[in-house]
Amino acid sequence: MSKKKYFVKRKKTCKFTAEGIEYIDYKDIDLIRQYVPVSGKILPRRVSGTNPIYQRKLTRAIKRARLMALLPFLGD
Amino acid sequence: MPLYELGVILDASLDDEQRSAFLGEIKELIAKEGATIVKEDVWGKRILAYLIKHKREGYYVFWQYEAPGTVVKPLEYRLRLSDQVLRFLNLNLDREMQRARKMAKVRAEQKAAKRAAKERAEVAAVVVAPRTGEEA
Repeated sequence: MSKKKYFVKRKKTCKFTAEGIEYIDYKDIDLIRQYVPVSGKILPRRVSGTNPIYQRKLTRAIKRARLMALLPFLGD
Repeated sequence: MPLYELGVILDASLDDEQRSAFLGEIKELIAKEGATIVKEDVWGKRILAYLIKHKREGYYVFWQYEAPGTVVKPLEYRLRLSDQVLRFLNLNLDREMQRARKMAKVRAEQKAAKRAAKERAEVAAVVVAPRTGEEA
């Protein structure tokens, strides 16, 4: 009996490292939304594959966006 | 003079006259002591992600301005006291960028040091290799 392949591992890449983004703007909601699912939580590094340096910057940007009511603190 | 970024959410229920008067007042507060407004970005009305002061809508305006640090305190004080302002965020962009550049520099140096060490090790290996060859 052959084993069925259920899961194909995808290569995770850090968008910020690849594109050389120096500063993550909290006003750039389209970019930030990619890292915030509908739940409103910040996507962990282990899921998004973001470089630690950029994950910290991203976190700061997301929290600022929340303050300015661009993103929800609590999702649906 | 550092570069600042100020974002303000105004009450969307204000009429145009009140709003422009208030925006003018803020701009006057910024443009003191040789300060200049570099960029003005008006987003206009936007639905808030959550209620602020029981309001669903806000009027978004962003400025980038170069100003001495003495401008910041009275400006933030005024914004905090105003009933028309739902929320504001004032950032020192220079400081944000500085931190990023500093860390990038440190990391580049570490990388260079590592590479230099590796090269030195390789050179040493090459020097050692022919000698052992002769003996054998």
